[in-house]
Amino acid sequence: MADKVFMQGNEAFAEAAIRSGCKFFFGYPITPSSEIPEYYAKKAPAEGLTFIQAETEVSAFNMVAGVAATGKRGMTATAGPGFSLGCEAMSYMSAASLPAVIVDCMRPGPADGEILGSQGDYNQLTKGGGHGDYNTIVLAPYSVQEYADFAPLAFDLAEKYRNPVVIASDGTIAKMMENVVLPERVEPKGRADWAVDGMNGRGHHNDITTCGDGPEQWERFNLDLQAKFAKIRENEQRWEEIDTADADIIIVAFGTMARVCLDAIRLARKDGLKVGMIRPITIWPFPEKAFANYIGKGKKFFVTELNAGQMVNDVKIAVNDNASVEFYGRLGGMIPSPVEIYNKLCELYK
Amino acid sequence: MSIVYKRPEVFTDVYMKYCGGCGHGIINKLIGEIIEEENLVDKTVFIWPIGCSVYADKYYKADSICALHGRAPAVGTGLKRACPEDLVIVYQGDGDMVSEGMAEIMHAGIRGEKFTVIFVNNAIYGMTGGQMAPTTLMEQVTTTTPYGRAEVNTGNPVNMAEIIGNLPECYYSERVTVNSPANIRKTKAAIKKAFKYQMEGKGLSFVEILSPCPTGWKVKPVQAIKWIDDVVTKQFPLGVFKDRGQEEK
Amino acid sequence: MKSELIFSGIGGQGTILMGKMACTAASKKGYNVTLSPAYGQEKRGGRASCQVVISEEIGSMIISEADTILVMDEKSLIDYEGKVKPGGTLIINSSMIDKKADRTDIKVVEIPFTEIATKVATAKSANMVALGAVVKTLDIITLDDAREVIKMKMKPALVDANIKALEAGYDYVK
Repeated sequence: MADKVFMQGNEAFAEAAIRSGCKFFFGYPITPSSEIPEYYAKKAPAEGLTFIQAETEVSAFNMVAGVAATGKRGMTATAGPGFSLGCEAMSYMSAASLPAVIVDCMRPGPADGEILGSQGDYNQLTKGGGHGDYNTIVLAPYSVQEYADFAPLAFDLAEKYRNPVVIASDGTIAKMMENVVLPERVEPKGRADWAVDGMNGRGHHNDITTCGDGPEQWERFNLDLQAKFAKIRENEQRWEEIDTADADIIIVAFGTMARVCLDAIRLARKDGLKVGMIRPITIWPFPEKAFANYIGKGKKFFVTELNAGQMVNDVKIAVNDNASVEFYGRLGGMIPSPVEIYNKLCELYK
Repeated sequence: MSIVYKRPEVFTDVYMKYCGGCGHGIINKLIGEIIEEENLVDKTVFIWPIGCSVYADKYYKADSICALHGRAPAVGTGLKRACPEDLVIVYQGDGDMVSEGMAEIMHAGIRGEKFTVIFVNNAIYGMTGGQMAPTTLMEQVTTTTPYGRAEVNTGNPVNMAEIIGNLPECYYSERVTVNSPANIRKTKAAIKKAFKYQMEGKGLSFVEILSPCPTGWKVKPVQAIKWIDDVVTKQFPLGVFKDRGQEEK
Repeated sequence: MKSELIFSGIGGQGTILMGKMACTAASKKGYNVTLSPAYGQEKRGGRASCQVVISEEIGSMIISEADTILVMDEKSLIDYEGKVKPGGTLIINSSMIDKKADRTDIKVVEIPFTEIATKVATAKSANMVALGAVVKTLDIITLDDAREVIKMKMKPALVDANIKALEAGYDYVK
């Protein structure tokens, strides 16, 4: 196994993406994502990468669409304000079945807001964000290791389903430094048979369009997309369970908050409180399957997020019992400490 | 008997959706002829815009992708960077490019992206239904300038071929029109030159084509052709604004 | 074994660098290390702090109470005095801070980093004096570990002076 290196989340992710064969990066600087474009810019000459600092996030996302259309690996990284601009292209890329990877280093909104960590883009990322009926796979890393591991995974999933994949990073995961084992280099695959890269001897032409040709055709097009999303929902729910088997209270937390809760669970268990956690790794598709074993068992579900409760409804749907779901969150870039969460758990136990 | 005229083979049998008297059909045919004559069909990638040419992917037996409103130069940037050997044709109308896509075309020009832009300027939003574009002429009546375009509220028409030609990384910029057989021949020569420069790996090549829109202008096709000569070319003069290929000779 | 540390000061004082060096030393010994930096929006003169967690298993990057906290400026002292674990250590940069700590349930060490650094090396090494003092409070990282990191991370010409500064800080804490 390769050696561990001590690296920042964004830089480890960028290096992992390069090793995953992503040779095209289009970015617009925005805190807390800027280390990713900076890393690409620095490595471009030696690694033979294409790096363009785009005029806007709108353009950066569309440049990624252009590369993805050729079947090659391309990427951009941004934060909430930039992702809002990119939502037009997210809708487009999903409709056009383009395998792009987009990183959102979430920061506290709304509007310009603050630059520290947040999970306030949950709804935007998991419910589409742009116009129309579409979804994108969203992976939420909780460590630098997972952030780096998600680079090759994101491209593999994007290509498997021909759909954009989002990495839901945040200001904390992005800037955090940890030990990480970087993924092995993969060689780029050959031409994709569906790609728009000039026929160049292919013998037939490929056309990608997202313009409907009458409501009947466009409904059929949409139903095909929905069938794809249903398949993703069936196959790609990912989560981790920690101490859930005997738990009275099951925490539901992802990303940074899941890390805080690891320590809160240890504090609780030391005091004999039976607390566990379901950690969604994909926040779309939401890991509903994880909850199936715990429905109707009298358990409490404690959702904690760095937002005003955006994941709560997904948990309520998954457990089919509104009354059993509690929420605690912090806003504005504030992150609760493990003791703060532990105290909330104690209150719930009363 | 010898064939003196035929439909380009690169065309499919799909019926073109353009209105009678529209210039898009002529321009589409010229592009088809050139890529066939120059043996470039196999290397061609079209980037179509939103607007009247949104269905043009169906007319050619060549690779294509349709971009969203104004984004064609950004999609083209990603695509051409990924496939530098291809002939990438970014095709845009004036509503698409000069309003919503102004940032994308300007920065593609600033970076000198090595693709060809075919800019079809008919001084109006055609497909959307005859609204004002940034290229709409002064006093021109549209559905959003029902009393005629007035400077005070909308400013003046935007001359793209001159603006893009002024950018250092633009290699070639010319304005032509398709309102007469002679002008159509000149347009074909301009597009052919633009493609040649692209295949030589030069910077941005930009061809603005003044194109009649009788439906949007609410005139008969013959009047539309005349209006280009009498009015449109006064605001948008024909000519070469940048040709580094000539300068370097 | 687990150590939770906070380094806090103003941008330019090397607080993040100290955190990184502590992490490098611990990770070489096989520990999980997590460093979470926090910056103000302004590029210069704003708060620069980091939380460092050294442990055998992965856990929270946010610290409830720290074993050792180093404060390089007065505002950091005000903000972080309450975050030291009872029985933990608060290290105060007395070259820049006149205010005294109020708590009596923790060990408080006041060190004039700049004066000591100037004596054994140059004022630029004040952060290595501080690092030496922090290392003294830890079981996980030894003085030798820290010396190795300096040798590994710094230009050869700077190694000797910075090791002297490190040792001076280490020795100052009784």
